[in-house]
Amino acid sequence: MSFSVKKEGEVVVVDVEGQLIVGNRQELKQKVLDELERGEKKFLIDFSQTGYIDSSGLGVLVSLSKKIREQGGELRLANLNDDLKTLFELTKLDTLFQIADTRERALQSF
Amino acid sequence: MSDLAEVLDAFRKATACEAALWVQGGGASPTDAPIAEPRTPGAPKLTVFPSGTDSPVDARTDAGSVLVAAVPGPHRAWLALGPCPAPGVDLRTYMSFLLPVITQYLQSALEVEHAANELAERYEEINLLYTISEILGRTVSLDEAAKTILTEVSETVGARKATVLVHERATDTLRAVAALGVDLTTVPPIRVDDPCSVSARVFRSQHPALLETGESPCPEEAGYRRGAMLSVPIMWTAPAPRGAEPLGVVNLSDRRSGQPFTAGDQKLIAAIATQIGTAIQNTRLVRASVEQQRLSHEMQLAHELQMKLLPSDSILAPDAMVAARVVPAESVGGDFYHLFHLGGSRTGIMIGDVSGHGYQAALIMALTMSAAAIHSQTTTDPGEMLNALVSTLRDELTMTEMFISAFYGVIDPEEGELHYANTGHPHAFLVNREHGFERLPAIDPPLGMNEKPPVTARRSWRRKKDLLVLFTDGVSDARNRAGERLGEERVIETIRDNLDAEPRVILERIVEELNAHTQGAPLRDDLTVVLVRT
Repeated sequence: MSFSVKKEGEVVVVDVEGQLIVGNRQELKQKVLDELERGEKKFLIDFSQTGYIDSSGLGVLVSLSKKIREQGGELRLANLNDDLKTLFELTKLDTLFQIADTRERALQSF
Repeated sequence: MSDLAEVLDAFRKATACEAALWVQGGGASPTDAPIAEPRTPGAPKLTVFPSGTDSPVDARTDAGSVLVAAVPGPHRAWLALGPCPAPGVDLRTYMSFLLPVITQYLQSALEVEHAANELAERYEEINLLYTISEILGRTVSLDEAAKTILTEVSETVGARKATVLVHERATDTLRAVAALGVDLTTVPPIRVDDPCSVSARVFRSQHPALLETGESPCPEEAGYRRGAMLSVPIMWTAPAPRGAEPLGVVNLSDRRSGQPFTAGDQKLIAAIATQIGTAIQNTRLVRASVEQQRLSHEMQLAHELQMKLLPSDSILAPDAMVAARVVPAESVGGDFYHLFHLGGSRTGIMIGDVSGHGYQAALIMALTMSAAAIHSQTTTDPGEMLNALVSTLRDELTMTEMFISAFYGVIDPEEGELHYANTGHPHAFLVNREHGFERLPAIDPPLGMNEKPPVTARRSWRRKKDLLVLFTDGVSDARNRAGERLGEERVIETIRDNLDAEPRVILERIVEELNAHTQGAPLRDDLTVVLVRT
């Protein structure tokens, strides 16, 4: 379980490897908030290597999305697997996020 | 020394010459007490004591002339031969024979004596270790054990002042738990980073210190240091990867003999410090275990309290038949259901899942339960009710970054309608024989995620035929030991297979299916099921 943060053009891309759960959500939050504080505005969280997100992981995504918006920034999610996609649809979370099928599309959408 | 007397006797018989051995005792000047008495009374009194490197010296005595030589070796001893009754005896030749014999004899005697002393010391030390083991076996009070151990140890090494200091993590100081020769209450705590304290240095370096003489320059240590001091860290070896860590320091000082402590003393105290370390660790573990028991008792109470917040599933009878069950993953959790009478034969049914689990989720759950009870009585529109609910909880949800996925349905059997709002609740179904399973999907995201008021939807509802099925993702996500999810489909199948049964029976079947799948694997999430028929 880890997060790698890199810059692609103007976009900060975070890869979530493994799970996003109660035990590691603060780490993700801190990493993104650090970048936000440095003045970054565009964020993409890529879930292509993520198997599971628990409810507190979802909570962090919502809270990050709010904080980024408050700073005039944008957050995109990409590469949700089928289970995660269903989870986002069933809980109507898909209405709160801009979700792209691939990383490339997400990057182009900024 | 009787063997020695025999040797000298044999010499006298053989040579007719007198022979005497002189030793220096007690650190004073050579005495006049020969340890081998001459056979004839009035042995010649020696006045000359050559040093070990000198060759034998002729000396005149009252009885006649004698030859005196120092016995080589650590003994301060002299062999005196003569006088001889016959003239012209070559005492030097006799000396060259007898001196090596006496030297050899004294050397062995010295070794035997050393060995005996050593043995006595070891015996004393072993005894001490036995005593300490007994003390530690008898008591779990660290202070009492430390005090007794200190008394025993000080007796063995002859120290009049001693302290046991134990590291206190919260303040990062060394605190005295036992003291000898100084009032325990007057020993101040020492900061671990104190630059002048010997105890602090020994604790930091984890190496013992042997200090020969001198008073301590530190006021904190002045109370228990006088003259030579031995300071040894108390080490505890935890299982890898933590390894050895220092727990405190044992100090001994003010030795009765006035001599410095030896490497042997240090070794002994190090062994005892390990025993004290075990005692400290035992005390801590006992304390932690008691605390753990208390905590688990409190968690049990919290669990019971939380379960009491949930209404009995019979409260809607006879208007509705309800079967409901919550199983928290930890003692307390964030899943809940609620049931309301809304006037007439109308009933309100709510299921919810507060994100996260444990205490924080349980507190939000309790708040939600009480707020929902109030708001359900002010409106029968589910969307309005959830909107009022989230307005009450918004501050707490924002502060804790939590949210609630909830389904709230109001069944009006007279009108034949089910009104519902679904904010992020994934598993809600309207089920009947004719149409099978109709999912009542989330219309809005979970409460606390956005500001928009939840929307109310409606479906027709038929008495005896329709079944409202609500369960949280803890049920469909329940995993077996191989990590495989139970899946929503298995839950649906179980319900379909038992659709004509009472809700209570269907619930039992779901629980059986769940248990058969998980085989006792620990729950990762709370799980809740609510089934309603009117």
